Amino acid sequence: MTPDKRIIAAVYHLSKDLGKHFKLQDINLQIANGEFVFLVGPSGAGKSTLLRMMYMDDYPASGQVVVGKFVSTRMRRKTIPNLRRKIGIIFQDFRLLEDRTVFENIALAMKVTGTGMGEIKRQMTEILTRVGLYHKRYDYPPALSGGEQQRVAIARAIANRPAVLLADEPTGNLDPAATKNILELLFKINAGGTAVLMATHDIDLVKSFGQRIIYLEEGRIVRDKEMIYVGDIRDRIDQSKVSRRAEMLSDHEITDGGKE
Amino acid sequence: MKFNQFRYIIDESVGMLRRRMAANLIAVVIMGLSLLILAAFLLVTLNISGVIEKTSKETRVFIYLEDGTGEEVSREIYSRGMGIEEVEEVVFISRDEALANFRQALGEESDLLDALEGNPLPDAYRLKLKPGYIRSKVMERIAAQAAEWPGVEEVRYGRKWFERGEKLVRGFYIVDLALGLIVFLSVIFVISNTVRLTILNRRRAIDIMKLVGATNAYIQVPFIIEGALQGMVSSLLAGVLLFTLFQVAGRYIPGLVFIRTDAVSGFVVFCAALGALGSFSAMRRHLKL
Ligand SMILES: Nc1ncnc2c1ncn2[C@@H]1O[C@H](COP(=O)(O)OP(=O)(O)OP(=O)(O)O)[C@@H](O)[C@H]1O
Ligand SMILES: [Mg+2]
Repeated sequence: MTPDKRIIAAVYHLSKDLGKHFKLQDINLQIANGEFVFLVGPSGAGKSTLLRMMYMDDYPASGQVVVGKFVSTRMRRKTIPNLRRKIGIIFQDFRLLEDRTVFENIALAMKVTGTGMGEIKRQMTEILTRVGLYHKRYDYPPALSGGEQQRVAIARAIANRPAVLLADEPTGNLDPAATKNILELLFKINAGGTAVLMATHDIDLVKSFGQRIIYLEEGRIVRDKEMIYVGDIRDRIDQSKVSRRAEMLSDHEITDGGKE
Repeated sequence: MKFNQFRYIIDESVGMLRRRMAANLIAVVIMGLSLLILAAFLLVTLNISGVIEKTSKETRVFIYLEDGTGEEVSREIYSRGMGIEEVEEVVFISRDEALANFRQALGEESDLLDALEGNPLPDAYRLKLKPGYIRSKVMERIAAQAAEWPGVEEVRYGRKWFERGEKLVRGFYIVDLALGLIVFLSVIFVISNTVRLTILNRRRAIDIMKLVGATNAYIQVPFIIEGALQGMVSSLLAGVLLFTLFQVAGRYIPGLVFIRTDAVSGFVVFCAALGALGSFSAMRRHLKL
């Protein structure tokens, strides 16, 4: 197989029965390097389930998921950690270790890859500054607001410079101000070249951005429209104009770091 | 594996042990006490079988001759005795010798013997068995055999005492074995239960680690180290408690022996391995790794 280098993640003819009353049916989608895609659908449409298959916590009964060089049908348990280190994942409920500081939470993602402590500290300053939490690096998650906790989770997700960020309802627990803040952060990360796939049930939240939206209903994709407006998404948020398209198709691919 | 990863895994293990100090202490106390019970029984068995073995080494079969048995018949008995495969030595004890021994044994009370007319004791042969054959079965057979020889009045050995001793040791071995099995199972149970609780407790944390790409080793090793340490510390605890009890008991019962040092260290290593194994098997069952 010669994978399309411009495709960072793809799903081909994915089907799976889940329980008695729900199934994902013949899902097809492709996400380009550096693209920002919303996955929208009502509660129970199967968004979380689909994302789980993309980070290979579950597998399709038929069809295939391809993320970078990782192919679901050829995945072995031992290689799952390698995939997870190449992608970032965030959730509605943040999933932070509450008995560890902000610093330690973010460092965990780098430690599991064997990054040295000196290197972790060096990179941490930049990451913490990017998410605006440098001053709270020694706080524990329970002492942070929801928006701050989500920023910690985002920092952890991007710590290894992933090519794709999977976000499952990342603003689901946040108030409008924090929601806007997190979206901005995701757009900024996307502007840096990371593809983002964000699931949400809130169509009103996302349709104003003009980004590509994949509609999921009852386990099927009912509409998938390529982006109409080509430009920087941040134009729509803070009116600052940055040309991003060139970066977007830069050769940013996931490679397995399994040479170690 | 990279050195850094190794270091982080050790960090994780230390962190986990520190966070779970209380639960670990409880597990260690429970296991330490179960191991203590087992070890105490082993120690008692060791001492009793030691005493019995020592005494039985001194056990002899006595063949008493009929009054007025002639020299020829006596000689015949001697050679028959020597002819038995398990017999190491046959010693003649004349009735006079026996009386003298008796006198000596009675000490101050030997005056009592003066009341006797003449010597009521018979001539006798004392059979010593080869080591390794000192068992009630063998003695019984020899006794039955010798009783049939001409000129033999009676054959005796400390039969009742001997059989009881053997039974006692056998009983202790059975109890030890049963206890060993129970303790073995309960140690496995306690450890896998602690691990199970930890996993339930830390399920969220474990899932998060998997999410960010932690390998199985990264997640598992701290649990395995915890199990091994639990096994090790609880067996050491049992050892220390037992030694204290031993010292106290030694004040009342002289000649007690303790379990050999190499057996103790072997026991500690075994318990550590058992702990690691319990941890590992619990992980297998409760974590889809
Ligand atoms: N392992 C499973 N076993 C049985 N049913 C399942 C399983 N996983 C998911 N489902 C069902 O699949 C359906 C889709 O669930 P999913 O969580 O993917 O929806 P969602 O689009 O993320 O919804 P929400 O917006 O509420 O998060 C639900 O009806 C759920 O009950
Ligand atoms: Mg969901």
